[in-house]
Amino acid sequence: MNIKLLAVGISLGLFLTVIELIRRKKMSFKYAVSWLAASALAILFSVFDRLLGACAQMLGFTLPSNFIFFLIGLVTVFLSLLLTVYLYQQTNRIELIAQKLSLVELELSRLTQKNQPDRT
Amino acid sequence: MQNKKILIIIPAYNEAGRVDKVVAQLRAQFPSFDLLVVDDCSSDATACQAREAGSPVVSLPFNLGIGGAVQTGFQYAKHNGYDVAIQVDADGQHDPASILDIARPVIAGELDLCIGSRFTAGKGNFKSSFLRRIGIRFFVHLIGILTGVRLTDPTSGFRAYGKKAIDLFAAHYPIDFPEPESIVIAKRYQARIGEVPALMHPRQGGSSSIRYLKTAYYMIKVTVAIMLCTLSKNRRIRADEH
Repeated sequence: MNIKLLAVGISLGLFLTVIELIRRKKMSFKYAVSWLAASALAILFSVFDRLLGACAQMLGFTLPSNFIFFLIGLVTVFLSLLLTVYLYQQTNRIELIAQKLSLVELELSRLTQKNQPDRT
Repeated sequence: MQNKKILIIIPAYNEAGRVDKVVAQLRAQFPSFDLLVVDDCSSDATACQAREAGSPVVSLPFNLGIGGAVQTGFQYAKHNGYDVAIQVDADGQHDPASILDIARPVIAGELDLCIGSRFTAGKGNFKSSFLRRIGIRFFVHLIGILTGVRLTDPTSGFRAYGKKAIDLFAAHYPIDFPEPESIVIAKRYQARIGEVPALMHPRQGGSSSIRYLKTAYYMIKVTVAIMLCTLSKNRRIRADEH
């Protein structure tokens, strides 16, 4: 029974941490939604541990613990894939900003040079 | 030919001592063409020398790689309404004598992308290493099979671009090792691609962006990129993008 309490506590803690991070604006909902889903799944399985056993048996896992490890692996792979996608998006945007910034800098230096003779 | 706006894009990364000569030479030979040096965050005096030699310089805030630098040039060309862009290396490898040959089909509106080749018969005097020739031949066949475009020198960065190619590449251009992949991208957007013989010299100094250790990565990256490129969906190019 203790182990069940521990599992429920940890998964609930994860869920609440994610919500708190969104609330404090340390994480946007867009990036947090997969974490929320993962921790909700963890809560579901830790509260209804019979469901976990049934799912494991149905999928052919001899031990429910193996099924847990499998799920953790799956979620980790999915989340890191998602992070790679976001990272790529950020890289693209930063590159575009760098290019635009350098072009605007050139434009600006031209404009200031044009205006210089008027002042002197 | 006189009424077309023509820009020469010179991507430069640590080319001090060479870029000034290239800029001076181009200015003397092509006074009616505009120049743009894209300094890819060099740690030497590249930007300063290019400016003193009389070319406008765009300085990137951090190193983007050759693709990101050239793309900045396309964005500049698009924003300022150039009809033709010509890409010339800053290290003096590309002989200005071939610029008009490369630009002519694009200026005449026959091609959207014209590539200067080291290997086509006639002016092919360029000696490159055995390994490099094998690599280039591999891309020749890969691109030929995937796009039906027959080129002898798909890795050449000595090129002229028409308005269609400028608009396309301002929005989509590969970041590293862009040359072979950009051909496939251009083809997917129905650009007309061709090549002409061009004079190239061995490097006067500096280091090629393709080093021995990088070669394997280069081959794999470009191969995978080219194959993925033929699979991926065409994204629409926004016309209002600046």
